[in-house]
This record gives sequence, C-alpha cells and structure tokens, in this order.
Amino acid sequence: MDLTLDTTQTLLRDSVRAYLEAELPFERIRALEREGRSDDVLWKALCAQGWLGVPLPETWGGGGASLVEAGLVLEELAKRAAIVPAAEVLACLLALARAGDPESAAALARDALAGSAVPVPACLEPGGDPRRLDLAPRGGLLHGEKRFVDYAESATHHLVSARDGGEPALFLVARDATISRRPLRAIGRTPQAHVRYAGSRATRVGGAGACRELGLLSRLFAAVQCLGAAQAALDQTVRYASVRVQFGRAIGSFQAVKHHAANMAMRVEASRFLVYEALAAHSRGEATPRRIALAKASASRTAPEVTLLAHQIHGGNGVIEENDLYFFTLRGKDRSLAWGSTEECLAEACEGLERPRDWLHGA
Amino acid sequence: MEFTWPAEHLAFRDEVRALIREWRTPELLEEYAKSYGADGPLLRGFRAALAERGFLERCFPLENAAAGDSWLQFLFVEEMEYWGMPYGNLTWTSIGPTLSRFGTEDQKRRYLPGIRDGSLCFALGYSEPNAGSDLASLRTKAVRVGDEWVIDGQKIWTSLADVATHIWLAARTDPDAPKHQGISLFIVPRTAPGVRVRPLQAMYGGHTNETFYDGVRVPHADLVGAPNQGWPIIMHALNFERVALAATGALARLFDELVAWLAAERPAKLADPLVRRKLAELELDLHEHRALAQRNAWIIARGGTPIAEASMAKVSGTELRARIANTALDLLGREGVLSRENGDLAPAEGRLEFAYRIAPIFRFGGGTNEIMRDIIAAAGLRLPR
Repeated sequence: MDLTLDTTQTLLRDSVRAYLEAELPFERIRALEREGRSDDVLWKALCAQGWLGVPLPETWGGGGASLVEAGLVLEELAKRAAIVPAAEVLACLLALARAGDPESAAALARDALAGSAVPVPACLEPGGDPRRLDLAPRGGLLHGEKRFVDYAESATHHLVSARDGGEPALFLVARDATISRRPLRAIGRTPQAHVRYAGSRATRVGGAGACRELGLLSRLFAAVQCLGAAQAALDQTVRYASVRVQFGRAIGSFQAVKHHAANMAMRVEASRFLVYEALAAHSRGEATPRRIALAKASASRTAPEVTLLAHQIHGGNGVIEENDLYFFTLRGKDRSLAWGSTEECLAEACEGLERPRDWLHGA
Repeated sequence: MEFTWPAEHLAFRDEVRALIREWRTPELLEEYAKSYGADGPLLRGFRAALAERGFLERCFPLENAAAGDSWLQFLFVEEMEYWGMPYGNLTWTSIGPTLSRFGTEDQKRRYLPGIRDGSLCFALGYSEPNAGSDLASLRTKAVRVGDEWVIDGQKIWTSLADVATHIWLAARTDPDAPKHQGISLFIVPRTAPGVRVRPLQAMYGGHTNETFYDGVRVPHADLVGAPNQGWPIIMHALNFERVALAATGALARLFDELVAWLAAERPAKLADPLVRRKLAELELDLHEHRALAQRNAWIIARGGTPIAEASMAKVSGTELRARIANTALDLLGREGVLSRENGDLAPAEGRLEFAYRIAPIFRFGGGTNEIMRDIIAAAGLRLPR
C-alpha cells in the first residue's frame, strides 16, 4: 500500500500539467465553448507528445503503462477543463486492446496515435435506461439512434454497442453521410450529440466482454474527470479564500470558511483514493463492476458537493464567466451524470449487498 | 501507486484472526461488555497472550516507534475492532509510544515493561471543567517542593481512572508563562494520597470520572520531559489517539451486523429497494472513510507525521459512526429501541442500539471535529490563521 507516485508517474503528471498551464489559456476554452468545438491544437499536441498513447499496448506504439497513468493524464486535462476526446478515444482503444479483437483495432490505434483517427463510444439508447440495447445491425448495416455521444461531431469513428445474434457486441462505424447528428447544449459545454445511423456500415470488433469493458473504462475515466474538476475547484477556492479580504481579514481565516474547505478536501481525498484504487485494480483485472460503480458513485457525488461549496465561498465572483470556477462546476456535474450518476451507480451497488465482503480489498 | 497488500501483511492478518478465533468466547465478550474493557480475568489473560505472542511489540513498538510497521497496527486494530475484541487502550496506542519518545531512561525502565505486559493502565488527565477544546488553559497546578511536585486541582473525563494504575496528568507549572509554555506532564499513581475519583454515569451504560487532586506529591523522577515542556508531548500523544479513533473495523462490523440481521430476520425489509439504496450509500461512506484511514496510515508508514490526514480520518470515521448507528436504528424501525438487556428480543443483541448511545463521544473525544477541521484547513490547505 503506497500512494506515492513513482518517478515516471510524477514526471508524466508534471509534464502534462506544465504543458497545459503554459499552452492552454482558459480564454481558448471559453472560445471553444462558444463555438461548440473540440480543441484540435491541444489534440495534436497530446498525440505528438505521446501522452495519449501512454496506457496503450507497446505493440501499437503505445507506452504500455497502466490505467493509473491514463488517470493521471486525464485528471490533468480535467483540471484544465480541456475540451478534447482523450477519455473517449482511450476508452475505445483500451476496450478493444483488453477485450476486443486487437487485430482489427491495430490499424485504428496507429491512426489514433498519429492523430488521424478519433474513435468515440456510442452506447446510450433513447429512453434513459443505460442497460437498454436494442440496436442490431442487419446485413452489416446499422439503423437506429444513440444518445449523448461525446465528440460525435469531430470523431472519425463511432464504437457502437449493439446486439449481434442477441448478445451485446461492439461495432466500428466510420463517419460518412449515413450518420446524422443533432448537437446538444449540455451543461458541461463540451460537444455532445444525439446520433442517428441510417444504414451505416458496421464492422464487428468485439463481443460482450469488449462491450462491458467499454462501459467500465468510460465510467472509470468519467470518475477521474469528476475528481479533476473537484480538485481544481478546491485549489482555486483555497487560493481565493487566502486573498479575499472581508472584515479586515482573509476570509479563509474564518472558521465557517475553513470548515467548508476542510469538508471539500475530505471529499476530494476520499474519492481520489477510491478512483485510483479502482483504476489500479482494473488494470490488474481484479476490479469487480460493483467496485467500479462505487468508485464512480463516490466521484460523482464529490464533484457537485465540492464545486457547490466552492461557489458558496466565492460568492458572486464565482458565477461570472470571467472567473474560471464555472468550468469545474459545469464540467464536474456533466461528468458526474455521464456513464452512471451517483444514483445509477448506487442502484447497481444494491446488488450484492448481502455478499460477505472483505473490507481489506475494497468493494 | 500500489494498492495491493503484500503477502507478509496478509499473513499477519491471518495470524491475528487465528488468535481472535482462539479467544473470542461469549464469556470474554460478556466480561468486556460489562466492564467496558477495563478489567476482568479473561481480559487480563487475553492481554497477556497478545503481549506474549509479540502482537503488541509488532504493532505498537515501544522503543523506536518510528521503525514500526504502521500497516501492522492498522490491520491489527481493524481486525480487533471488527470482532469486538479488547485490543488494549490508549496505554498501548498512545502513552507507551509517547513515553518511549519523551521519557527518561529511568522512566522507560520503570514503566515500559508494565505497559508491555498489560499490568499498567493509564487514565488521561487532560481535560478540566473549564479546559476542554481550549486545553492549554488548564489550571490544575503543580508546585516544586524540594525533590517533589505538589499537585492541586481537578480533572474531568478521566475515563478508566477507577481501574487505572496511573494517571497521565497535565498540570500548570508556570502560571506566568504564555499558556502553552507553562504546562508539564506527570505520571501520578492513582493510589497516591490525595487522589480522589468520582464516577460519572454515562448514557452509553459505562461511566467516566471526575478526579480531584489535593496536595498530591509526585517525585521529580515522574515528571515526563522537561518542566514546562508538556504541550508538545500532549500533542504527540493526541496524534496517536486520533489514529486509533479513526479505525474502521468497528464501523464495518456495525454495517455487516445490520445487513446480516435484516437478511436473517427481516428479509422482506431487506428486499425493499429504498432500504437497499440506503445500505448501498452507507457502504460507499464506509469505503470513503476507509480510504482516508489508509491515507493516514500511509503517511505514518513513510515516516511522516499525519496532521491533516489524521484529522480527516478522525472526522470522517466518527461522523460516519453516528450516521451508521442512526440509519441502522431507522431501518430497524420500532425494534431499534431494544437494548441488550432484552436478550433475544433485541436486534443484533442490542449492539446497534448501543452504537447509537455511544456514538456522540467519538465526535468530540480526542479533539472535537470542529478543531479537527481547523487543523485540516491550517495544516492541510494552508489557509490563513
């Protein structure tokens, strides 16, 4: 049991952080939000620096690192409110590498690492029930609808969950004229769309295991993004409370403010542990879906709790868009609802309550 | 980052479990419940076994506490608490390591063996009627007379004072110094002339005490550390106390007992989706608390002194304890009112009802959670004073 990052991990985190702080001004993110676009400049840099490939298999030209390293990169991106499909692309490629047909994915992965392919998951169907899976390609062609597809607009491929002879499976669909999109104005202000497939050519690239893996990885990565938003809001709040003066004192010296901040820090640290523990366990193939659900439930409730307390401490300054706080509030809530909200994840954890648990080994 | 447990830790846990299986009899638990862990022939036998088999030395090393493996302590306390076993008290977890660090060679020679073999038991003489969270304003005084100190004053919440062999007592030795710089620590035999103990019955069924000191004479050799240097020693000892208060075993046990009782006795209630949703949330709370407790143990394991981390674990564990007990009784419904005195009528033998009555003390004991949050903000987040 050791929470220390090793030297490689520290180097990775610090270089991503330093790059983002130097090269990604929040003004650019405000502009991207207004235009509803993804950050192509940052995306090229992520590919060129090799950061995207860090957790991918070495045979694909990746770094062969674990999901913990993926988490470190994604957390830094979330702390900077970056608008890039990193979580989506990594979830697709890793799902295929871990449980899909790696042969069929090798070319896709090579193109993705070069920045020319951007595969994103398309899993949710109309009706709001994440377990629903009605789509089924016929004769290799896909008809139907997927909802809340992140970065559907800029993606070159959709990795679509659909039935294959009654069993869940994954199909790769390349962008073409058969795909229509209805862009959404979601609370997180990242590009999302409802997507309709009208006879799109779909290639099977994985079975039920890959389909489940895509959902678990996406959920884990969304948990990391919640954590990053909460951490950034906490950091900014501590800075603000240290310099904002009222009644002749920094407001951070008032006990009421200190206690809010202490509660925020406790939420962040507890979720940080559970999220990285789940990433490490899933890397080793030892995380049950229930454990991942509990980690996401933790991060999903931490992001709103922490960012809302951050607003309480910032007062009016926190709600105007010239201030950076809203990025984390809105993005945090968006990711908190993505791939299983607190309630949805807790509902999953209701299964297996009676099973004897070994508290030592987590959920 | 490494979240798995090495084989030697898992083997140690198995060893602890084997010892528990051997000793955990209804008679011992009965004796423990009746005396609130203070005393009894079976408890003494169990403590002697813990000492003999080296559990104490491995988990709470008295000499060179820093070289000990804090994960062994974590696992040991967790298992003991989970199974409701008397694993010792602040004498081992707090006084022993503190005395080992600050005591004279003579004090270590005289007290450490007794602490190690379980024959010595210390009660903490910190709080006074007018010195609670503001402990440094304590007024019990000690005056040097020749080779002795003469102590006059009153302490409160001196739990275990009626059965302890000694009191670990903080007293003012320089009334003119700034309040943190005029306090010294003494080891006072409980049977010394002038020490009087008055029990205070508490709503959880046990009792704590007031203690009065009327011209109590203590040899200079029983002053711990230098005169007027008591405050850092108290802070050091309190940190150890918080580590123990943050333990997760008892909380996990309450949760498991609740689920097990519902499964066996009220399966229809356990099938209710709303009940299950509440339980799932409590389980998540437990995992989150356990995360903070492990973070705390990790700081110690790498040779640091957890300050904000210990406070976080203390706050989360003690508040969760109250939440689990409260939710548990809610879920039991009217049956939740029954204490263990009702025998087979009481759900889970009354342990959940008892948990509710005792839960408040953890939140303010060992430093109130409000003070803990101040510490998190100051030491952890560096917010201005």
